Amino acid sequence: MTQQFAARKSHSSRCKNRLPAVLVAAGTALAPSLAWADETCQSPYMAKITGEEEYVYIWTLGMEGVGDGSDKVVTVDVRSGSPTFGKVVDVDSVGGRHEAHHGGLTDDRRLFWVSGLDDSKIFIFDIASDPANPTLVKTIDDFVEKSGGVVGPHGAYALPGRVLISGLSNTDKTGATGLVEYTNDGQYIATHWMPTAKEPNGAANAEKADGYGYDARVLPRRNVMLSSSFTGWNNYMRPLGEVVNDPEAMKAFGGTMVLWDFHARKPRQVFEVPGVPLEVRWAWGPKSNYAFTSTALTSQIWLVYEDEAQKWHAKSVATIGDPAQLPLPVDISLSADDSTLFVNSFMDGMTRVYDVSDPHAPEQIYEKKIGSQVNMVSQSWDGRRLYYTSSLLANWDKTGDDNEQFLKAYTWDGKELAPRFEIDFLAEELGRPHLMRFGSSALYNY
Amino acid sequence: MRRFVLPLGLALAVTVPSLGLAHDPALHPPTKVEGPADDYVYELAAPGSYDLPRIRPAAAARLLDESGAAVELSALFAGRLTILAFMYTRCGDVCPLAALRLADLQRLAAEDAQLSQHLRIVSLSFDPAFDTPAIMAEYGAMMRLPDAAAPPWHFLTAPDRAAIGPVLAAYNQPVARKADPGDAAGPFSHLLRVFLIDSDGVIRNIYSADFLDPRLLMNDLKTLQMEAP
Repeated sequence: MTQQFAARKSHSSRCKNRLPAVLVAAGTALAPSLAWADETCQSPYMAKITGEEEYVYIWTLGMEGVGDGSDKVVTVDVRSGSPTFGKVVDVDSVGGRHEAHHGGLTDDRRLFWVSGLDDSKIFIFDIASDPANPTLVKTIDDFVEKSGGVVGPHGAYALPGRVLISGLSNTDKTGATGLVEYTNDGQYIATHWMPTAKEPNGAANAEKADGYGYDARVLPRRNVMLSSSFTGWNNYMRPLGEVVNDPEAMKAFGGTMVLWDFHARKPRQVFEVPGVPLEVRWAWGPKSNYAFTSTALTSQIWLVYEDEAQKWHAKSVATIGDPAQLPLPVDISLSADDSTLFVNSFMDGMTRVYDVSDPHAPEQIYEKKIGSQVNMVSQSWDGRRLYYTSSLLANWDKTGDDNEQFLKAYTWDGKELAPRFEIDFLAEELGRPHLMRFGSSALYNY
Repeated sequence: MRRFVLPLGLALAVTVPSLGLAHDPALHPPTKVEGPADDYVYELAAPGSYDLPRIRPAAAARLLDESGAAVELSALFAGRLTILAFMYTRCGDVCPLAALRLADLQRLAAEDAQLSQHLRIVSLSFDPAFDTPAIMAEYGAMMRLPDAAAPPWHFLTAPDRAAIGPVLAAYNQPVARKADPGDAAGPFSHLLRVFLIDSDGVIRNIYSADFLDPRLLMNDLKTLQMEAP
């Protein structure tokens, strides 16, 4: 097994998403070398694993009456041939429920940042000292104060020596929010507020800017960052059935993406992308100047791309399922060769696979029902192994028998998904699994 | 005796800057450089038009200079702006390219007396077993611009691996040994990290390969110079 660092000139982003559960019922370089094997949707600034992943870390929402009821990081052994292959080998509760959701690894992959959307707490785990046994080393409980009012820390995206945290809300609990930078070990650096019509901060088309945030990812060789938009605390912490039956609440969802001058951290262009554009996935190819996103409420795949005149555009390029049935696309995952896009939709529990060799004309080539509900998908760098988790948000997950909570692992041969193993997170008394990250002991051998 | 052998491509590339024996604007037209910024979507932001937030104090370290004498890294930061780059001379991929970018930076800075006198460039090896002070001196002699107007460029190493390990950790510099120590591109995998450090010893930017452009570095350096004292 080999592992390697690869500073990649091209790159992409990460994978995740989420949204409703009752929606339907209610109605709404210099880079040197390629590294083979690792999840494909990570920051290009991050060290890459060049062999098979050894562990999958899962940030899991605590669930009342299930185990200790607390949010926790669950470590699963995925080493082929290991006597504990496909088993939970470590559980680290953080105490209490914080609406565990997203997070990410630092650029050196030594630290795993995870956060709570409810109380804005951030937990930093050391995964380098013993990759099979992550250890909580720091808790940040003054994120709102330090950031100047950003609420709902979402992803933690690796920048050189720093993490970039996209917020979802603010102290008014509405959706205008910002991007917040910290050092790898948890020292606050700076806040960059999303542009709004009132405060465009130099962005073109800013009269359309809504200020919402969700994901933010960088294409370094073009010096651009692309951010997307979701909704504020008032919506994401509210039972979904209430939200979708409240016309005013339904107006409070994002419908824009923003292209930034990354070096200067200045917003430069606002795109109208109606229906809540969530995950941002830059293509990896050295000349592939485009990114995909999916829109949760309008069920579309959107392409944000640069034309030959170096102008940037956003357009819908495919429909996901039947939008009238509100399949609710959530996480997407782009293969390392930019040829295949996996799209999960929460409500129908489906994963759909698109041939995106022509990014302007994706074609669906496969679909499979993963469970009664599905949210996140992560794939290995070689595209042969995929992992799925089930939970969206505590108040948006399905109920009763449809509230399946699982990690399911598959192999992918380019034609179909074959089961590898699965873990029932309710039977194991763990909770609602959400974000996944891969780890390997071979990263730390200097 | 081990000697540093310059890769052919790098040897050809460093020939030109090494020929400049003195900086004379009348004889030498303004330096033209290339780099990743040529591929950026937007023009580089003008100096002073953006912020460079204070990231963290740059860690101290007891190191060796090219003569083998002990040097305290933090002492080099005092009173000057510093560009600090981690590297190793056996690197066959990103380090030589980064060295060329820094050589271009040294040439650009030589044309700006106000900046040059307040700037220092430091290359620090994380391969002390091979990169002895003598090797670093040899490497430095090939890379440095022999121009009194140019900012100083130091080539440092550590006494041993035990000494450099904590420095790598303090700067979040990822380095790992390759499974094949005989890999033609060198025995280590690493992510390029170059640090901009202000005269108070605080890190103000961290560059990856895609942002290691001499013109961008110059703008960042001028942005720091424009800050109120």
